[in-house]
Amino acid sequence: MAGPGAIGQRISAETRAGQRRAFSGFAWTGALMIAPVFLLIALFTLYPFGRAIYESTRIESPIFPPQYVGLQNYRDIIGSSYFMDAAKTTALFAAVTVPLLLVLGVLVALLLNEPFLGNTALRIGMLLPWAIPATVAGLIWKWIFLDSWGALNALLYSVGIIDSYVQWLTTPNLARMAVVVVFVWSQLPLASIFLLAALQGIPQELYDAASVDGAGAFGRFRAVTLPGIRPMLVIVALFELLMAITNFDITYSLTQGGPGTATTMVTYFTWVESFKKLDFGRGSALAIMIALASLVAILVLIRAMPKGALVEERR
Amino acid sequence: MRRSAGRRAIVYAGAILLAVFWFSPFALVAVGSVIPEVNLLSFPPDWFRDPPTLATYRYIFTGEVPASYEQRGALRSMVSNEVRDVPRAIANSFIVAAAVMLLNLVLGSLAAYAYARIRFPGRAATFNFILMSRLIPSVALAVPYYVIIQQLGWLNTYRALIAIYAVLTLPFTVLVLTLAFRGLPPEIDEAAQVEGASPWRVLRDITLPLALPNLVGAGLFAFMLAYSEFLFGLFITTTRERRTLPVILGALSANTDVSWGMLMASITIGAIPTLLLAFPVWRFMVRGLTTGAVRG
Repeated sequence: MAGPGAIGQRISAETRAGQRRAFSGFAWTGALMIAPVFLLIALFTLYPFGRAIYESTRIESPIFPPQYVGLQNYRDIIGSSYFMDAAKTTALFAAVTVPLLLVLGVLVALLLNEPFLGNTALRIGMLLPWAIPATVAGLIWKWIFLDSWGALNALLYSVGIIDSYVQWLTTPNLARMAVVVVFVWSQLPLASIFLLAALQGIPQELYDAASVDGAGAFGRFRAVTLPGIRPMLVIVALFELLMAITNFDITYSLTQGGPGTATTMVTYFTWVESFKKLDFGRGSALAIMIALASLVAILVLIRAMPKGALVEERR
Repeated sequence: MRRSAGRRAIVYAGAILLAVFWFSPFALVAVGSVIPEVNLLSFPPDWFRDPPTLATYRYIFTGEVPASYEQRGALRSMVSNEVRDVPRAIANSFIVAAAVMLLNLVLGSLAAYAYARIRFPGRAATFNFILMSRLIPSVALAVPYYVIIQQLGWLNTYRALIAIYAVLTLPFTVLVLTLAFRGLPPEIDEAAQVEGASPWRVLRDITLPLALPNLVGAGLFAFMLAYSEFLFGLFITTTRERRTLPVILGALSANTDVSWGMLMASITIGAIPTLLLAFPVWRFMVRGLTTGAVRG
């Protein structure tokens, strides 16, 4: 759950590794120092992942005797319309939220880059939606969207905009929209603050030069701002894509995947299979598939980004 | 640069819109927590018919059932019993998060120092491995973690949560502290080394004091993630004695007959510790991850 900047910093950290003068002749000490972290993480990463691969090829549920079934779990999942619905919902969710967060993030960053009364207060205050646990974010908004006595309905009704309560959380598309709103609400602060940082890293001279060349506000944005924040845009996009694919807490507390399965995404689906139906074999197969899908998504995005985008990020 | 009136109007309109979007949910929850339940449920909505009351808070901490609930019979107060677990859950979250923070600081700074200053075989490979481990989505680890924790006999224990959260937070801590330590002038280390100080000694007496702000930031960040984590908490804890705050609130949200006044009081109480920590963490994140590009 590291911030988006982490990826870029890691890569540049790696290229610089070993350039600085280091303690020599202390190889054992060094190995000893990293041993606790390395072993803990290896133990809790390699073993569980291996275990998940093993279980994914077996029937492991309270109903049937454990048994090796090869790729049957994977075939069942891919053949299941429930899974396909969840996969489509997840893809749709990511396809809506990631671009939305990028566009809004740029707009908010541009806004925060302007001087106005209350600018600092807004910058500090916007950490609130980000800082609270995601389950709490879901709950807060559940009270707003609630069908029968939610705050939004009460407000809209009192002002006279609606004359009967809107079923926000029990109408499939409205419920989907609600999840998007809550996700954007809690993710936008981080996205904007990182884009703001990138924005402020652009030298003023570039803007001046563009103005001299006769570029208008929009021209300056295209010629100077956009190239300047592009590396950060890529990082934010990557980070938010991962967050969107693995989003679980908000769905859990806001809609419980419903109405029906309208907001059931692959993570929630996996949760239901593993811990409600206790089908660990299938749950593991799902988990492997999610891990692979995220990996593919990351690789595709890294491929798609301009060369050197990540390394340039450290100015 | 001169700004036109139109531009200023747009900026202020945008700022107000953002402030409303981000803050009004909090205001609504705070308001909702002091409105008597009967008024919240009224239709047409009339929230302010009766004076605001702190009865919900009193119930959470003392178990004294608010007057408006008793009129409605025993059922509702029974259902709302769950909110009485909130103080306990906050304590649980604190215990777990504090232990995770401590582990992060001790183990994380050891590893970070080695990565920043010591040459040893496998340095790049293990560093990459530690960082890459976080690319596996949590949900993919949920089932195997459950099986392992079950086999260890660690279900429903603090140590299971602490171990898992440490694994989830350490990669980031190691990364941040490695960068921080590497940013310190290496000449001091070299001078100390010439004087015969071991790396342990240099780390303890020179590097750690110098990097104190980074340690605070990284530690609090780990604390916040551990305090907020939900998925693993949900299946590792099985009794109310061990449930963490996000798990209790998650359970309340799944309860269709929950009392919303109580729930909102719970949310308000539960959000306060995070909000207190949020500001230092936020400053650290912004400074640490954006390499000082943010001014003011």
